[in-house]
Amino acid sequence: MVDTNSEGREGHVTRRQFARGFVLAVVAAAVGSVLSFLKLLAPSKKGGGYVATVSRGDLLVYARGSRMGNLLKASEFEPGEAVLVYPKGKSGNEANLVQLIRLEQSEFKPPTRPELTDQGFVAYSAICTHLGCIVGWVKDKKDPEASYTECPCHNSIFNPARGATVMGGPAPIPLAQIGVKVSRDGTLVFTSGFSGPIGPQV
Amino acid sequence: MISKWFDERLELQKFKDKFLNKAFPVHPTFLLGEVALFSFVTLVLSGIFLGLLYEPSTGKISLFGAMVPAAYASVVKIDLLPLGVIVRRIHHWSAMIMIASVIAHLARVYFTSAYRKPREINWLIGLGLLGITLGAAFTGYLLPYSQFSVTATSIAYYISKSVPWVGDWIARLLFAGEFPAHATVPRFFFLHVMVIPAVLVSLVGLHMLVLIKQKHTEPGANRKRKEARGGQRLIGIPVWPEQSYISVSLFFFLLFVVVLMATYIPLNPIETFGPPSPVTPVMRPDWYFLPIYGFLKLIPGDLSISIAGAKIGPEAIGGVFFPGILAFILVAIPFLDRASEAHNYIENPLHRPFMTSAGIAVAAFLFMTTVSGYIDVLHIAPASMAIYVVVVSAAAWVISYLLLRRYGRAVKKGEHVES
Ligand code: HEM
Ligand code: FES
Repeated sequence: MVDTNSEGREGHVTRRQFARGFVLAVVAAAVGSVLSFLKLLAPSKKGGGYVATVSRGDLLVYARGSRMGNLLKASEFEPGEAVLVYPKGKSGNEANLVQLIRLEQSEFKPPTRPELTDQGFVAYSAICTHLGCIVGWVKDKKDPEASYTECPCHNSIFNPARGATVMGGPAPIPLAQIGVKVSRDGTLVFTSGFSGPIGPQV
Repeated sequence: MISKWFDERLELQKFKDKFLNKAFPVHPTFLLGEVALFSFVTLVLSGIFLGLLYEPSTGKISLFGAMVPAAYASVVKIDLLPLGVIVRRIHHWSAMIMIASVIAHLARVYFTSAYRKPREINWLIGLGLLGITLGAAFTGYLLPYSQFSVTATSIAYYISKSVPWVGDWIARLLFAGEFPAHATVPRFFFLHVMVIPAVLVSLVGLHMLVLIKQKHTEPGANRKRKEARGGQRLIGIPVWPEQSYISVSLFFFLLFVVVLMATYIPLNPIETFGPPSPVTPVMRPDWYFLPIYGFLKLIPGDLSISIAGAKIGPEAIGGVFFPGILAFILVAIPFLDRASEAHNYIENPLHRPFMTSAGIAVAAFLFMTTVSGYIDVLHIAPASMAIYVVVVSAAAWVISYLLLRRYGRAVKKGEHVES
């Protein structure tokens, strides 16, 4: 008979040692399989995130409000005003959301890219580069040129006359610029894609 | 008699002798844990009502002529039922009370140093309960699928994604894909109404088992009384009937307060926020997430560190490292403030200048980061606010420490304490 309580002879495994090892192995196998389940629970990437589909030649339409989906007219904007717009027919993709701003053409300073502006119109991605909120517009009634873009979530401030550089707050990079121009019939049209990365930089 | 019938079959008398005679020390702060438990009962009851009417789907359906997510439409319909909105508010107010009482309970345990040997295990279980409760509130918040819910959850998605190295995977695991994915709402719903309550109930059970085994810490005054009696037994009132009367009254009083609040104080009016749309309202999370929200505002955008291929940007510093460090400190407390022998009496916080002032400093810090959530309305620049946060917390620590030490010396000398 084997004494199950004593240590085994050299080179032999006692029943208790075997039982312990067996339990450990079973537990390890179970934990391992659960871990592989975790993998199944995280769907793989399907090109999600913010991937813009706006392209040159797309017309600008209002993104919200009573005129949602209608074409914009340059004459509807004074300097110091801003509005959220989509490329026509592509409003299903939030990555395409753009803040269109009108200032004076003479206000633009680097790093604004002048070739992407027209008649004081400049446009930037409306998705905050911090954590993805949609940026808003703080209008200065007395001095329209002092108006600026602000994110309502953690108050990142972007300077629209200087390529949407971050003037304060936690946003790590500027909003990407996108080209716009006024067509002959007074509507607005995109003339390029985004000049840089859009959305949260994580 | 009915009780005799049951007693003969279930040996109730034995159970009564063993458990219902357990002593429950008398101290009002010992009821904070009960408040948390009872709010949870209210949450389960109101939650079952909501769960029977809620539709966990983001598919678009027509509501008064507009196409909106089914989840949003179902919550609007709950609000339109007679008293429906009251049930929703009962649920939400109970959630807030539950979180507040868990935090207050934790503070009580900390300041009376009840976390020390042999109660480290229950301290850790309690922290788990706090985490799980916050998880319940967080997953519940998405469910109405209003513009507000979606923005808040989207921010949380990008915060999880900013975790160094594994963030991308963690975010997809938690949110069932890249938010807003179709699978997110069903997953959050299942977590919220099934997984989290189940884990919560198990942890509460474990918490109670350990408590029954280890017994409560007792108010310090009991020490002398016990010595006078020459006994060893815990001094307190028996669970049945005295403590039970207190508990039952507490439960119904709490229910009364919650229903009163739900009736008169509106909360999360999703019809005002509307369904998801391309605009972000000025929004602040519920108060329990304000410190993280405020802290996020203080981290300047150009602050970022690179380690081993991972970029740790302002989102990760504010949203991951700040709460992470706080959680780590909480976990570490009983192992840093170690005791060689078992402690069974609550300590007077006034006699522990270092630990008490450290607790006050953390409270001041959380308060100041909460205030940071309002820098936009207070018109304070983030950089100045960051300085105020540091200065106020440090001052709270130093001043309270000096005052407590002075108090301690005065007590030692047997003098009267100057006020
Ligand atoms: C068995 C337990 C629970 C069930 C069945 C349940 C069920 C539900 C359901 C169906 C909703 C969506 C309806 C709505 O938004 O009004 C909801 C929302 C919510 N739940 Fe729960 N819940 C439970 C526990 C909890 C717990 C423990 C907490 C937090 C401590 C919590 C916090 C919330 C919050 C904050 C909301 C959002 C409420 C609002 O829209 O105003 N729930 N819950
Ligand atoms: S999401 Fe814009 S500042 Fe945080």
